[in-house]
Amino acid sequence: MKAFRGLDQFSVTGGLAALAVLGFLPTLFPGKYLIGVLTVAAIYGIWSVSWDFMSGLTGRENFGHSLFIGVGAYTAGFLNVQFGWGPWWSLPASMVIAALFGLVLGFPTLRLRGPYFALAMLSAAVIMQRLMLIFWEFTGGEEGIQDITPLIKDPLHYYWFVLALLGGITWFLAWMARSRWGLILRAIRGDEATCLAAGLPITTYKIASLIISAAFAGLGGALYAHYQLQVSPQLFAVVTSITIITMVYVGGMGTIFGPVGGALLLTLMTEGLRNFGEWRLMIYSLLLIFILFFLPNGIVAPTWNRLRHLFSQERP
Amino acid sequence: MTHALLEVKHLDKHFGGLHVLKDINITVQEGEIVGILGPNGAGKTTLFNLLTGFIPADEGQVLLRGKSLREMRSNAIVGLGVARTFQLCRPFVGLTVLENVLVGSLGPRVKTDDIGARAMHLLDQVGLAGKAHTASELLSYGDLRRLEIARALATDPELLLLDEPFAGLGSSEIEALSELIRKLHREQKLTILLIEHKLREFMQLVSRVVAIDFGEVIAEGAPADIVNNPRVIEAYIGRQNPLEQTQHA
Repeated sequence: MKAFRGLDQFSVTGGLAALAVLGFLPTLFPGKYLIGVLTVAAIYGIWSVSWDFMSGLTGRENFGHSLFIGVGAYTAGFLNVQFGWGPWWSLPASMVIAALFGLVLGFPTLRLRGPYFALAMLSAAVIMQRLMLIFWEFTGGEEGIQDITPLIKDPLHYYWFVLALLGGITWFLAWMARSRWGLILRAIRGDEATCLAAGLPITTYKIASLIISAAFAGLGGALYAHYQLQVSPQLFAVVTSITIITMVYVGGMGTIFGPVGGALLLTLMTEGLRNFGEWRLMIYSLLLIFILFFLPNGIVAPTWNRLRHLFSQERP
Repeated sequence: MTHALLEVKHLDKHFGGLHVLKDINITVQEGEIVGILGPNGAGKTTLFNLLTGFIPADEGQVLLRGKSLREMRSNAIVGLGVARTFQLCRPFVGLTVLENVLVGSLGPRVKTDDIGARAMHLLDQVGLAGKAHTASELLSYGDLRRLEIARALATDPELLLLDEPFAGLGSSEIEALSELIRKLHREQKLTILLIEHKLREFMQLVSRVVAIDFGEVIAEGAPADIVNNPRVIEAYIGRQNPLEQTQHA
């Protein structure tokens, strides 16, 4: 009997179809604006899915995900502008440095129960933002690091590259979530004491998951830096983490693919509401409140599961 | 030299100013079902928490086949073959019944590749195979007790610690669960350490009783001797035979 099912056919086919639609959109509606919006949405997708892998599955909310994003972005900026490294080095380097931050922060905080991890991550992100300002001689202070080289000059090609990475990362993390590793993370969410009684080294799993989550968030940070061609301390802001958490909630926490949809939905919604002028924030907030109150499991994942139920014999 | 399966030597624990366990000495031989008896607050669950590494002892030794468990993490102790259940059922909320047992199979002792079939076999043993794909939070309390036992068995234990397995169950459920425990002991040669308040069933199940009161061992022996022990009667219910009182109740 197979204990772990892996990815079902509907998820693989549906995911590829969604990627294809997203990839073709800019060719159907040409224009730099749409490409820009979709590129940012795809980067938010990477950040959301990386947050969901650790926090969504284990239930240990990370309020400082922006720290890993900022670290990844600044790694790209430092290497590219200050050390003159080629832009492609940013991708692996940002993952490694962000993963190291994940290890250093996760090791003391994830051993503890209660809200310490959430508070420590929140504080660490705020501290990093302040440090970027205090050491302005090295970091560029408020203005950050400018003139970062693009990874790919053509915006459409860059969008496709980011989209392909989003697809690959989501597939990898969804596969992990359905493996024995994912089952252990979901068990940690269920009850940590029972996990210990089952003989599982839960701290190791939590730290390793944070490292993976941090590495992909850092990669997203580097992609963002090479898209904006500059980085600033604002990337470390708590509001970045809150935005990502909101995207995960809207998508469906702990579902991996749901947060990708949440990121796309909220980014497009933000842009779509621009025509409403000053009412934009009011409408956006009311929509969010409606979703969070009346659809606690989010929108994207439950809708996806209903579709799966319609198209296959699997239970929703 | 052959060691007993479990030896507890001079175990001591304080919670702040409260001396909850005082110089506890217990020996459990392989294949025994030993009962831990005592009124509420006597220190029984604290003893289980110490044996399984959930809390550290202040002093004393816990030896499993002569190997000290002191300073060992709870998950490492499971790796040596000690599994436990909890006084209040603690399933993995959000996981199915089958997944709950699968998690138990992911520990260090289980070597088989087909943990799915093994988990289904365990669910079959405890009578939950028909509910394998049910969300664990939807189970009745009696089924949750069975699930706890299946999850503990999934770790492939030699010593099973059951913390009040009959709590919250009706008489027919208690009878069925007693039979299950007997079957596990008989067929799997499990050594069982059991805390329970339901005295009649408890006394019928165990081969030996250790009675605790205010963190001290006050008596040890065969069930028939323990129920007539004046210190146990005094500590447990006052001045009446504990078994008689349970029957009257």
